[in-house]
Amino acid sequence: MKFPTAFDVIVIGGGHAGVEAALASARVGASTLLLTQAIETIGQMSCNPAIGGIGKSHLVREIDALGGVMATAADKAGIHFRILNNSKGPAVRATRVQADRVLYRNAIRQAVERQSNLSVFQDMMVDLTLQSDRICSVSTRLGMEIEARAVVLTTGTFLGGRIFVGREQHAGGRAGDPASVELAEKLRSLPLAAGRLKTGTPPRIDGSTVDFSKLEEQPGDEPRPVMSFLGTREMHPRQVSCHITHTNVRTHDIIRRALDQSPMFTGEIEGVGPRYCPSIEDKVVRFAERDQHQIFVEPEGLETTELYPNGISTSLPFDAQYEAVRSIRGFENAQITRPGYAIEYDFFDPRGLLPSLETKNIENLFFAGQINGTTGYEEAAAQGLVAGLNAARKSAGLAAWVPQRHEAYIGVLIDDLTTMGANEPYRMFTSRAEYRLRLRQDNADLRLTPIGRELGLVPDDRFKVFTTRSKKLEACNEALSRTTIRLNSDMANKLSKASGERLSKDIPLLDFVKRPAVRAEHLTSAGVFANTDESYLAQALIDVKYDGYLRRQDQAIARAKDQMSIRLPDELNFREIDGLSNELREKLEHVQPRTLGNAASIPGMTPAALSLLSVYAKRYSGLRKTA
Amino acid sequence: MSETICAVATPPGRGGIGIVRISGSACQRVARELLGFIPSPRTAIHTDFCAPDGETLDSGIALYFPSPASYTGEDVLELQGHGSPIALERIVGCILDQGVRLANPGEFTERAFRNDKLDLAQAEAVADLIASGSAEAGRAATRSLTGEFSLRIRELDQRVLKLRMFIESAIDFAEEEIDFLGDTEQQSRLDEMRSLVEALIDRSTAGLTMQIGLDVAIAGAPNVGKSSLLNRLLGEDRAIVTATAGTTRDTLHGDLSLDGLPVRLTDTAGLHASDDPIELMGMERAQTALSTADCVLWVIDDADENLSTPDMYRGKTLVVRNKCDLTGNTPGAVGKTEFRTCALTGAGLSDVCEGLKQVAGFRAGTDAFAGRPRHIAALKRVDDALSQAAKELSVREGELVAENLRVAHESLGEIVGITTSDDLLGEIFSTFCIGK
Ligand SMILES: Nc1nc2c(ncn2[C@@H]2O[C@H](COP(=O)(O)OP(=O)(O)O)[C@@H](O)[C@H]2O)c(=O)[nH]1
Ligand SMILES: [Mg+2]
Repeated sequence: MKFPTAFDVIVIGGGHAGVEAALASARVGASTLLLTQAIETIGQMSCNPAIGGIGKSHLVREIDALGGVMATAADKAGIHFRILNNSKGPAVRATRVQADRVLYRNAIRQAVERQSNLSVFQDMMVDLTLQSDRICSVSTRLGMEIEARAVVLTTGTFLGGRIFVGREQHAGGRAGDPASVELAEKLRSLPLAAGRLKTGTPPRIDGSTVDFSKLEEQPGDEPRPVMSFLGTREMHPRQVSCHITHTNVRTHDIIRRALDQSPMFTGEIEGVGPRYCPSIEDKVVRFAERDQHQIFVEPEGLETTELYPNGISTSLPFDAQYEAVRSIRGFENAQITRPGYAIEYDFFDPRGLLPSLETKNIENLFFAGQINGTTGYEEAAAQGLVAGLNAARKSAGLAAWVPQRHEAYIGVLIDDLTTMGANEPYRMFTSRAEYRLRLRQDNADLRLTPIGRELGLVPDDRFKVFTTRSKKLEACNEALSRTTIRLNSDMANKLSKASGERLSKDIPLLDFVKRPAVRAEHLTSAGVFANTDESYLAQALIDVKYDGYLRRQDQAIARAKDQMSIRLPDELNFREIDGLSNELREKLEHVQPRTLGNAASIPGMTPAALSLLSVYAKRYSGLRKTA
Repeated sequence: MSETICAVATPPGRGGIGIVRISGSACQRVARELLGFIPSPRTAIHTDFCAPDGETLDSGIALYFPSPASYTGEDVLELQGHGSPIALERIVGCILDQGVRLANPGEFTERAFRNDKLDLAQAEAVADLIASGSAEAGRAATRSLTGEFSLRIRELDQRVLKLRMFIESAIDFAEEEIDFLGDTEQQSRLDEMRSLVEALIDRSTAGLTMQIGLDVAIAGAPNVGKSSLLNRLLGEDRAIVTATAGTTRDTLHGDLSLDGLPVRLTDTAGLHASDDPIELMGMERAQTALSTADCVLWVIDDADENLSTPDMYRGKTLVVRNKCDLTGNTPGAVGKTEFRTCALTGAGLSDVCEGLKQVAGFRAGTDAFAGRPRHIAALKRVDDALSQAAKELSVREGELVAENLRVAHESLGEIVGITTSDDLLGEIFSTFCIGK
């Protein structure tokens, strides 16, 4: 049966990638359908109930700056807020929110329901129809055929999902949800390179059976930060604490004894798990010298006592999980509400994607989220936004838009995925961003909201807030560069007193604030910027402080742009290039870089090899012209 | 499949032994043709080398290295004969008849590099070896070839990686219970790395100078003995020497080797006030020579009281107080950059030569690397970045320490190949227990 309406864009899946994809597509004006297995689980946090963290909150702020929903939902659902790396430089400062699962889901669902151009339909996609390598419709379990100009697939861990608890295993998506087996088979039959990855979760615990007096309390930060550029503290619900406990030698003994029952060690799981998120059995084996491991005890919500003990993800059999949990301080009488499990799922090599996240082999089909080998809500949401936007643009006959590495963490994410692929579930870290000093939380809106507005992603209300903010910042910058501190003036004396920095001659204020000891509050307390909001001043000072570094990076960016503009011809045969080492040749064949810039990011690449490539690229295009 | 190549591998005109090397898929055919059999791999066999008509051309050792365990990675056949030029030529001639072609200079190495037998730094060192004129530069090139330069750079690269691992994990995994490095430890590691880099820069610069040599201009007032110095240093009468001021009107060159360090001497017209148009032109040329020289020998009369030092030039200036026989002062070094000489007898000149070697960063016999300009430039960027990192560390700006180390690592990568952030993360994950 044909679905009564056709759409510009269909988004499959209502997780974090699917939601941002559907919203972005609808925001820019495409008629969009969100097709999900269960409307109740739209915006569900299937792993731990936290949003943000180092590197990840950078993504969240960028999604926010482009009109996405993740940050505001986190503000509406956040029950515990912290600034991470507060003692470190502004570029690496991050925000982390513990969210109430129910409130978060509600906030997301509300945003989806209120979005114009967006319809929701509950059914399961089982098939797709191609017309000469171009997708034209999807079919559902109920026998519906829905036509669309473009389709975004965001099926998360549901694709061919297998769940492991000890030697028990069964097909399934996240606990409780069915796996998409038919779709997985269908996709595996397409010209896409599939692989298996693995991830895990810890057992959940009933908080009413936990002795909190034995745990270390970790309250949220005061003053409490917000996640969104539109966020206010008034949006936040009641706040609660997190707690910390540790495993101990006994826990490790129990785990060691049960290893022969662990599917990870018996070889039943073939997928590769993330190195930065190992299971507790992995940690105990690989770091045998440690006699304890930290556990963050995260509340699942305000209305539930269930806890998420972050740090003991496991696929051990239930009896071992039970015993291990009870060996932990504060958990002596703990009841497990849901066992931990490992889940193995299909993903497709993201090197088969264009930077727009459209698959290279099937036109108008876009992939976003875990299907591309990433992990994390934030990474998924970021891809969702890009895929949704570009699916809508493609359906309208417009060129794709993708941020570059120096413009956004989103750009780093997409470039890494599409050029390096994913050997393990890919997670964002700030160390992945070579332009880290400019890709900050505080300036995500300055970097992206103007272009987002142009693309149609940023609605009026958000843009108004942005305009006000950027005007104030501009005024602040101007005042900073206009002012000179006169020796022995009232201002000079007050500033010296506040900062402890001496002055020996008249100096521009801009030079004075470059001194490491000088901070925004010194200026305000000295009355220099008495009627400027300190947060604006603080932000203006960041650019001043990083100035020399940012300028050096500008040069690197210009260089990279040059390299990016040198396209390597598709027909270029790396085997034919004399002077390349076999190792590099293999890597190049594997990565198939599209530009010299892509090639430059390949591990082990040398300037000599790059100059060889550019010579060949030039020679090749020369040949083509004369031919 | 590339063509089979062949060449005489020993220097021409050297008696005793002559080696013909063949690389490529035609080796077996050549062996059957010239030896009558294929020698067993990597075994020295004494045999006759014969022409197709059966005539014995020479006899000696045959060595066969099947691919890939050979210098070039291809099949390699080596014929070591007695080295008479005529015999070698006839052997090569017979081989060329087998559809083999003569190798271009450096082609064996190029193939070795292409087949992963050498890394880039080693291959470049071989190129230097081939191009190097002097024995000393040859030795420096050999050291890089055996991988010492690569080894040192890699060692440095590892150190930077390790330190970055700590600093980056303190940023990205601030919440984890891992042992971060204290500031003092970071500082001392930075200091260590800096002294390593600086030593590498010195050694590479020395190696580079050994190849390209030192450009030295002799300058000063007329009649102080500049041309006499040139002649003495060259050991020949290159320049006309007279008691008349203004004898040298044009620049004159002479090449000299100081223990293998190539030195190019330029004698210049005396600098003084004049309105003779020919002298003025000569002085203009002198100024050009001075501004481009690596080193200026500024000659004055030892009797001269007011020591008029020259303007600042690009190169280093050594002051030579000549005619010390007339003042009765002892010839020799007065300070690090000042010498007394007598150009008539040559007294004190050996000290001037030592001074020139100093300027070139010459290191006696042993530990220079065949540095390439781009290696040295990259190492200097590493040094700058490390010193900047140390500065930021002292004001406790962790992310800026990290930024400088990233730049240092990137510059090293220009020599040994880049380390990606993913490699760095891999190092972190394999060292620390990270993750919730
Ligand atoms: N006694 C003495 N005479 C010297 C010495 N060096 C050069 N002369 C003489 O000084 C005169 C000028 O020398 P010349 O090399 O032409 O000087 P230039 O004009 O600087 O090139 C000649 O007569 C030389 O023989 C020295 O060390 N001792
Ligand atoms: Mg003269």
